Amino acid sequence: MKFTSRPTAVVIGLTLAAATLAGCSEEASGGGGGGGAEAGACAPEDVTLVGQVRNESNPYEAAWLDGGDAFAEQVGLTQDRLTYDGDSTRQQEQISQLLAGDTECLVMNILPNGDSDTPPIVEGAEEAGAYLVTQWNKPADLNVADYDQWLSHITYNGVESGKQIGDALAEAIGGSGGIVALQGILDTGAAKDRFAGLEESLAANPDVELLDDQTANFSRAEALEVTKTLLTKHGDDLKGIWAANDDMALGALEALEQAGRTDVAVVGIDAVPDALTAIEDGTMTATVSSDGPWQGGIGLAIGFCVATGELAAEDITDEDRAWFAEQFLITSDNVADFSSPQTDEADFECDNVFSRSQGAIS
Amino acid sequence: MTSPADADTEVVVAPRPRPRRGVSLGDAGPPIALVVIFAVFSLLSDDFRTLGNVQNIMDAAAVLAVVTCGISFVLMMGSIDLSAPGVMGASAIAVSLLVANNRNDNAYGLLGVLVALLLGSALGCLSGLALVSLKVPSFMTTLGVSAVGLGLATLMFAGVQPNIRDDMLDSWAVQRFLGLAYLTWIAVACVLVGWLIQRYSRLGRYAFAIGGAEEVLALSGVKVAPYKVAVFTLAGTFYGLAGVMVTSQLSAGLVQAGKGYDFAAITAAVVGGTLLTGGRGGILHSAVGVLLVTVLTNGLVQVGVSPYWQGGVQGLIVVAAVAAAVLPQRRRNQVTK
Repeated sequence: MKFTSRPTAVVIGLTLAAATLAGCSEEASGGGGGGGAEAGACAPEDVTLVGQVRNESNPYEAAWLDGGDAFAEQVGLTQDRLTYDGDSTRQQEQISQLLAGDTECLVMNILPNGDSDTPPIVEGAEEAGAYLVTQWNKPADLNVADYDQWLSHITYNGVESGKQIGDALAEAIGGSGGIVALQGILDTGAAKDRFAGLEESLAANPDVELLDDQTANFSRAEALEVTKTLLTKHGDDLKGIWAANDDMALGALEALEQAGRTDVAVVGIDAVPDALTAIEDGTMTATVSSDGPWQGGIGLAIGFCVATGELAAEDITDEDRAWFAEQFLITSDNVADFSSPQTDEADFECDNVFSRSQGAIS
Repeated sequence: MTSPADADTEVVVAPRPRPRRGVSLGDAGPPIALVVIFAVFSLLSDDFRTLGNVQNIMDAAAVLAVVTCGISFVLMMGSIDLSAPGVMGASAIAVSLLVANNRNDNAYGLLGVLVALLLGSALGCLSGLALVSLKVPSFMTTLGVSAVGLGLATLMFAGVQPNIRDDMLDSWAVQRFLGLAYLTWIAVACVLVGWLIQRYSRLGRYAFAIGGAEEVLALSGVKVAPYKVAVFTLAGTFYGLAGVMVTSQLSAGLVQAGKGYDFAAITAAVVGGTLLTGGRGGILHSAVGVLLVTVLTNGLVQVGVSPYWQGGVQGLIVVAAVAAAVLPQRRRNQVTK
């Protein structure tokens, strides 16, 4: 055992040090025990704003947190930026830690990692009395109106966005010709909905033929390889590439460049900065924006309005508890408006927070 | 009449018994599998057997080949290496920030590439040092180093995607020589260098010996630890280069540049006949494995297998290929549970 004793001691020492540090920081952020805040009882300066996304290495989610900062600045506060690296366990730990602290005037704008991560977050917030807005992911059978502290759930209609870019692609290739689809991770709702949207678009454009559909798992590198293979398979029959997100569209653009093809139209979804640049340059045809900065601000705005009493939770209609937000098709015509994403203060006024609703989630 | 001196000379020049290296019947499994799979896809699809698609397969195999070169040395030694995603991510972001790019005014060109490779070496060295000095299993140390690499990459990434504007690096993916992209030639060179190291350097031979019987080597007075560190450093350098190659292909530095390459490379190496128990296989075996895996991915798309089925079908074929490849060595394999 002699040879292991020193490393073991080091490890134990480090663990203890880490535990002590963690204890200190927990104490610092702790204080008042949570529980059942009266709606509207908070002074604006007492509100804590928290935005949580997967990681800041994703331009869209980084822009989301920037939007949250913009809103916080608007009301004279700062936002706590939390990221959990797409790790469900870490997300739950961060939430538990938050809810163990002072939750009286806590407002959380959360991007749950997956559908199944939403219920524990909701239960936790309900119990602790924190104001919660979630986006993108929730199980279909979990009803927001059954909870008091879960103010709203916002998502986007993937069928609609898949159809929008499908139509834009059909128009770009002159209404007829062969296209291929690069699907996302096949067992995600986003991938299924977006592809269903493409199928709707194909039904409306009978001369556009879907030559092939493959998955590239929302990844730029995989899309590069798959597109290269599809280019050799279909050659000049290929007129357009429909990608379920911009990362894959950008991978497809690289493959086209390497193959020396300039006659193929490419569309994607998400409006990441590189895709907007590509649309400006004319190499990409269209993308769809959910407006990340707005998403980062709006969740905090709804929570802030309820916490400060400007908006009463019981006045939020059932349609506004779980809703589809407006998304924007970006082409070369309007790309300039989106290339430097900014938030509009008017969107976050308390009587305006639901203005982008496209209807309740059915 | 022979003088005693002549007799001595004869003894000295007597051929010493050579250890069995090179090709034996048992090693022929993977190449045969490659030929069979290639033939089957060629029969099934007109598009598959075109020259353009063969070029495409070679180009697609380039990055995986370089990663597999690195991982093969570690596997030969009987260790395992899961650090590829982190090392590749760190080197991808590093190189994209050092050559001409949209984030800063750097334009170091080839020097930037070299720094990225050195970063890969350093991270590999870290894996090796943690393995030999802390006696942590390589499985854990390399997983940790992967996390360190991803952490470094995320720090350097700082929320804005670095896009490269360096003509040289861009041209590696686009320009062709004898029908293959420059990147593919880089991969071919790596396989060649890897093979030379394995065959002719002390490092390569000791890597084999460590995998075969580390205790025997240690008892015969060889200090094993420095060679282990050197092997991990070499592997890290290969991953660093692979990160640079992905950056060249995508024209952008991605934190996720190496996502999935750890297990893809281990799969390729094992399919090619480099066993996880160590002491078997080598760079050329692994190169065959890389081609096998790439042909499979390409062929399933060309033949038109539905994407919903591809993952499962690919897995089945890989398991079958491994089973066929290791059949002649079954007794040895029983140690792996």
